[in-house]
Amino acid sequence: MARIELDGVTKRWGETVAVDDVTTQLENGEFVAILGPSGCGKSTTLFLLAGIYAPTAGTIRFDGMRINEVEPKDRNVGIVFQSYALYPNMTVMQNILFPLRFKSVERDDAHRQAQEIAALVQIESLLERRPGQLSGGQQQRVALARALIKRPNLLLLDEPLSNLDAILRLSMRTEIRRIQRELGVTTILVTHDQVEATTMADRIICMNGGRIEQIDTAENLYRKPNTTFVASFVGSPPINLIHGSVKDSRFVAGDRRLLLTGLSEAAHVSMGFRPERVIAAEDGMPAKITTIEPMGREILYGAESPLGFLRFLEAAPMPRFSLGEEVRLRTELEDALFFDQGNGKRIDNVSLNEFS
Amino acid sequence: MTAASRDWESLARRSTRMRRINAGLLVGFLVIVSIPVLLPFFWVVVISFSARTGGVESLVLWKACSILVSAVFIYGAVHLAEKSVRRRLIAAGILIALSALGLFLTVGGDLHLQNYRFLVNPNLVEELRGAATAGGQFPWVWIAFINSLFVAATSTLFKVTVATLSGYYLSRFAFRGRSSFLQGLLILEVFHPWMLTIPIFLVIFWIGLLNNLAGPILVLTVLDLPFFIFIMKGFFDAVPWDMEMSAMTDGATRRQAFRLVVLPHVWAGIIAISVLGFIKGWEEYVFVTALRTGNSYWVMSTYLYYVADDVMGVDYGMVAAVSVFYMAPSLILYLFLQRHLTQLTFGGIKG
Repeated sequence: MARIELDGVTKRWGETVAVDDVTTQLENGEFVAILGPSGCGKSTTLFLLAGIYAPTAGTIRFDGMRINEVEPKDRNVGIVFQSYALYPNMTVMQNILFPLRFKSVERDDAHRQAQEIAALVQIESLLERRPGQLSGGQQQRVALARALIKRPNLLLLDEPLSNLDAILRLSMRTEIRRIQRELGVTTILVTHDQVEATTMADRIICMNGGRIEQIDTAENLYRKPNTTFVASFVGSPPINLIHGSVKDSRFVAGDRRLLLTGLSEAAHVSMGFRPERVIAAEDGMPAKITTIEPMGREILYGAESPLGFLRFLEAAPMPRFSLGEEVRLRTELEDALFFDQGNGKRIDNVSLNEFS
Repeated sequence: MTAASRDWESLARRSTRMRRINAGLLVGFLVIVSIPVLLPFFWVVVISFSARTGGVESLVLWKACSILVSAVFIYGAVHLAEKSVRRRLIAAGILIALSALGLFLTVGGDLHLQNYRFLVNPNLVEELRGAATAGGQFPWVWIAFINSLFVAATSTLFKVTVATLSGYYLSRFAFRGRSSFLQGLLILEVFHPWMLTIPIFLVIFWIGLLNNLAGPILVLTVLDLPFFIFIMKGFFDAVPWDMEMSAMTDGATRRQAFRLVVLPHVWAGIIAISVLGFIKGWEEYVFVTALRTGNSYWVMSTYLYYVADDVMGVDYGMVAAVSVFYMAPSLILYLFLQRHLTQLTFGGIKG
């Protein structure tokens, strides 16, 4: 268990920058998720921490000690790979015991530890099988046990749930969180699935294009995203983003204007508000339904409005509107967010009146 | 409605009929083309047990071969029809017993072990021609046998070691000139090694390994390497990266990860190239002949050649017996390891 620091960590391959100047720290026993689209550098960050890649620049510290040059085998890091990477030529027991081969652990002691870990992840009955004879969920548990048996400083989970079916994913989510709490091991989960990140992690690092966009709790990522990217990546269904500009202290989008204060003149600004802030009501602006997506509890509609494309939700089961239907939509903009279109950053202290 | 269902039935019948005809034609074709391949093997075996000095009784040959070849085809039919291993083995046992009985009844009186006397007689030529002949240098077959074994085994060991290590390196590491190296390996395969006989002879002469078994061992090793490296690279390519990384974060060094995690995945490839390499070394004739200037060393291929030609005139029975003795090890090796050899294509394709 350790405190992890990344200080200006950068990884380049030739011209390509995979991880760009990443600085953050993890407290002892914390569960942090790295969330981002594929290719955003989140797995690379994980491999930098494991020592599989060496950073081009910057420092990685475990408990304040620089470990840039420390070999992966000496870092005492446990990884669960997306593919689980179990050793198919060994039994489950041998797989779990594998990390202890390289430590001076008594045979009996090693077996006792393996039994304990197997009990923790609930695979005691599978110890004599080979990985090929296990289901995906069981393989996942074996991989977890193998990562945990050496009492790692840091547990790294690389998209561990992406190969499981939906129901299993749900139960493994709770399971992994339970095991992590029980052992108190500092853990980093890499995922592109925001639900995984928000349900499991204490804090979420949102990454894009090799850079950290925001480090925050799930709630803050949703309510106060720092950038347009976070705003549109976090939240399902995605946020409504309206692009416009500021003219005469008004936010102008399409033929609509919004009185507001706090924005500089002539700035290009995007306004964001969640789909739940759009309501079908008689006093709203005219719009035309273009998409209908039933999502179980709710139905997600997409509509073309004078502001642009808007998403909004209605309670299921029966669709109230049909494709092409003319509706009237009202927007509630009390908690609308404003972003600078140039650098994507959120603009605070904007107060607004109403559309005119 | 009835008309339509009749149509479906007739279509189904027709397709079943066509499938049967096709399968029958295929099996028939394969049987016919395999006769000329199979026959010489039985021929040689029968001659080696039946021929008297200087001559071959062709009637014996035909009788024995007809029994053996039909036994093989009957077993083939049983193998196709019968899925259970136990019944196949029973059928094979019955067929062996029947053909043994058949052989005993038809040609039993003509079979003898005289042609195999070279196995126990270290001075074959002297016995045949007297001590004064030039054949005095002709060795006992076991010396050639052991030399051949040595050449095949040593070159195989070198080939497998180098091919495995370089296959791994080529598969896992990016280095300057990697792609040109791989292309170079393929280009080497274009040239037939015999085109290189004279330069190879000169090189071996200059480094002083002429008339030394080390010469053919080195040459054989080098000639097979490009192909074997490619095969092994294919096998290593098929081993996931994750597994190795996982082993290294689990505390293994790169070498330990290679030995404990990666190597077990490529055993099939290693066995396959070992068998190929061994058989190649075992049957080598051109370079063992080219790299000696006298009778400095003997291997099985040169032994067979001299038995057939120079020393004794023609004794078909003994030539056949030596051939059978010569072919037995590769045959046994192949029979036991053919399962691994068939995997070669899988790994190889990925290269």
